[in-house]
Amino acid sequence: MSALLEVKNLKVHFPVKAGMFSRVHETVKAVDDVSFSIAPGETLGLVGESGCGKTTLGRAIVRLVEPTAGEISLDGEDILKMTGSALRARRRKFQMIFQDPYGSLNPRMTVEQIVGEALDIHRLTDSKSARQKRIFELLKDVGLDPVYAQRYPHEFSGGQRQRIGIARALAVEPKLIICDEPVSALDVSVQAQIINLLGDLQQEHGIAYLFIAHDLAVVEHISRRVMVMYLGKIVEMSEAKEIIREPQHPYTQALISAVPEVDPESKRKRIVLPGDVPSPINPPGGCPFHPRCPIAEARCRTEVPALREISKEHWAACHFAGNKIEQSNRAGFQNV
Amino acid sequence: MALLEIKNLKMDFGAGADALRAVDGVSLTIGASETVCLVGESGCGKSVTALSIARLVATPPANYVGGEILLNGQDTLKMSNGELQKIRGGVVSYVFQDPGASLNPVFRIGNQIKESLKLHRPLTRPSATLSPAGGEGRGEGVRVLKNVITDYDTEVIRLLKLVGIPAPESRIRNYPFEMSGGMQQRVMIAMALASEPKLLVADEPTTALDVTIQAQILDLLSELKRRLGMAILLITHNLGIVGDMADRVAVMYAGQIVELSPARELLRRPLHPYTKALINSVPKLAGGASRLSAIPGNVPRIGNFPPGCRFAPRCPIAKPECSEKIPELLEVEPGRFVRCPFWK
Repeated sequence: MSALLEVKNLKVHFPVKAGMFSRVHETVKAVDDVSFSIAPGETLGLVGESGCGKTTLGRAIVRLVEPTAGEISLDGEDILKMTGSALRARRRKFQMIFQDPYGSLNPRMTVEQIVGEALDIHRLTDSKSARQKRIFELLKDVGLDPVYAQRYPHEFSGGQRQRIGIARALAVEPKLIICDEPVSALDVSVQAQIINLLGDLQQEHGIAYLFIAHDLAVVEHISRRVMVMYLGKIVEMSEAKEIIREPQHPYTQALISAVPEVDPESKRKRIVLPGDVPSPINPPGGCPFHPRCPIAEARCRTEVPALREISKEHWAACHFAGNKIEQSNRAGFQNV
Repeated sequence: MALLEIKNLKMDFGAGADALRAVDGVSLTIGASETVCLVGESGCGKSVTALSIARLVATPPANYVGGEILLNGQDTLKMSNGELQKIRGGVVSYVFQDPGASLNPVFRIGNQIKESLKLHRPLTRPSATLSPAGGEGRGEGVRVLKNVITDYDTEVIRLLKLVGIPAPESRIRNYPFEMSGGMQQRVMIAMALASEPKLLVADEPTTALDVTIQAQILDLLSELKRRLGMAILLITHNLGIVGDMADRVAVMYAGQIVELSPARELLRRPLHPYTKALINSVPKLAGGASRLSAIPGNVPRIGNFPPGCRFAPRCPIAKPECSEKIPELLEVEPGRFVRCPFWK
């Protein structure tokens, strides 16, 4: 088995209660029957709109939320069955980088304490001087001057804080890092620095990434393969270049067309989807995308499309995968 | 005469020795029914420049040290509070980034829109005799003729239809939390349009929204502009939006405009090194390049702007003299202004 991470039929359902004492009568299917794998040193991109379950999926993999059902195996070991110290030992292999560089660093700890905490928990250094040496090394790795080790997070800019978060994740030499929107809170000119840094670190240490973002251009740039998620389900998965060139699912097509383009000569037409992402409490029957889909037919309302292989390594969950959608009428307008 | 003419605007936060210059000599004009984009990263002064048009920045802490903001020929920096009340909404309306935080959570959306109507478009009953112009003296110069309305509810429903909200008759009784972010932003736009402004200032209107919803809102704004013929000042950090929406673009960096140009030409051939670097640092779909050309360093913070050209420490073509004197914003080609002597 060559895969580093193997996720099978993962489900994360949250109960919804009407009041404190009432019974659970509804569930939010945040992640619903998701399967995929990541090879060592590979970057898998995960795109989707807010509320589609992409963050929950990332958190479920590191077990920050408990999955309802399914299997997650890392290096061949099922981490869902582990608890306590066994799980903590495995945590060395997978780390997470968070979206908000302001909220994810403890404001009362210095950079040295933040990065060093991970070293202490896993007892990775045997002396004080080795610990300090390692922290300096990590800071240099992420492009920070070691003289900043005694400073507090508030003294840094957003991009620098994200570098501290990356150094913290790197401290335990993980094999997999879940990057949950690591650049979306950063300024445009700083985003590129962090994306390049993540690329360099991967080359150097052979880390695999699950790169979660809503910006398709960023995901395509950094990933080898890309998954598109909608309402808790994977709707399309393929090699990055291929998915941009030949999107099969109508949702992916709309998503790609909606990315604003810098090039004024671009001939791309924007497909404007009507409506919003439906509530995951009562997802539409049949294909979850059918109420917004310009090419939906009767079958889509009743039959859930399975994720099937359209061409080699290109999967899509659509009955009519491959049908191009034309620029729809200007959605949402009514004559007044 | 241009609808809006900002001339050499200078604004500080704080006063005396603690003063921090947030806006440093910004000049910008917007013609009637023109769309101008103001692009820049966080802290560059783009939002406070836009908020200054209707004087929405509290003074103190803000302190206008120089310049003029001519709206229909009248300087808003010299207006009394009464006059400002009239132009806020009456001539300039705002749409902000986070619709969830901009709408009042305890009022129904219909009533929130009505509030703007009541302030700016008093009811005219068909039978009522026209009142003499007494009491209208203040703000006379900025008064704009509005379409006559006879019933607020009908007008609210018309506005909600205009911004593409389905079933507006039942939606007017909704509270903001009952709507999605995209719908809330449509309500904000309806509210801004209620007073029939000449200029709509949209401050990052789609930043908090998903891409498919962003596409809807951008589409709505261009359609409304076409129908209503108002001018739009669109503030964004996303250069992709510029190509879709703008006639002209002003790029701001550290409190100053560094490049001002027709939109298509700026995107096709950026002249200032900052604009070039910004365009190159954004990954493009199907772009291919394995490494992004990142801009080194960080955006300078207010109060910490470097001497001379403020982009010089991060600029790939900076020369020693760049750190000595702030370069002028000069017209280097017809309609194209650049704040860099080495733009060639």
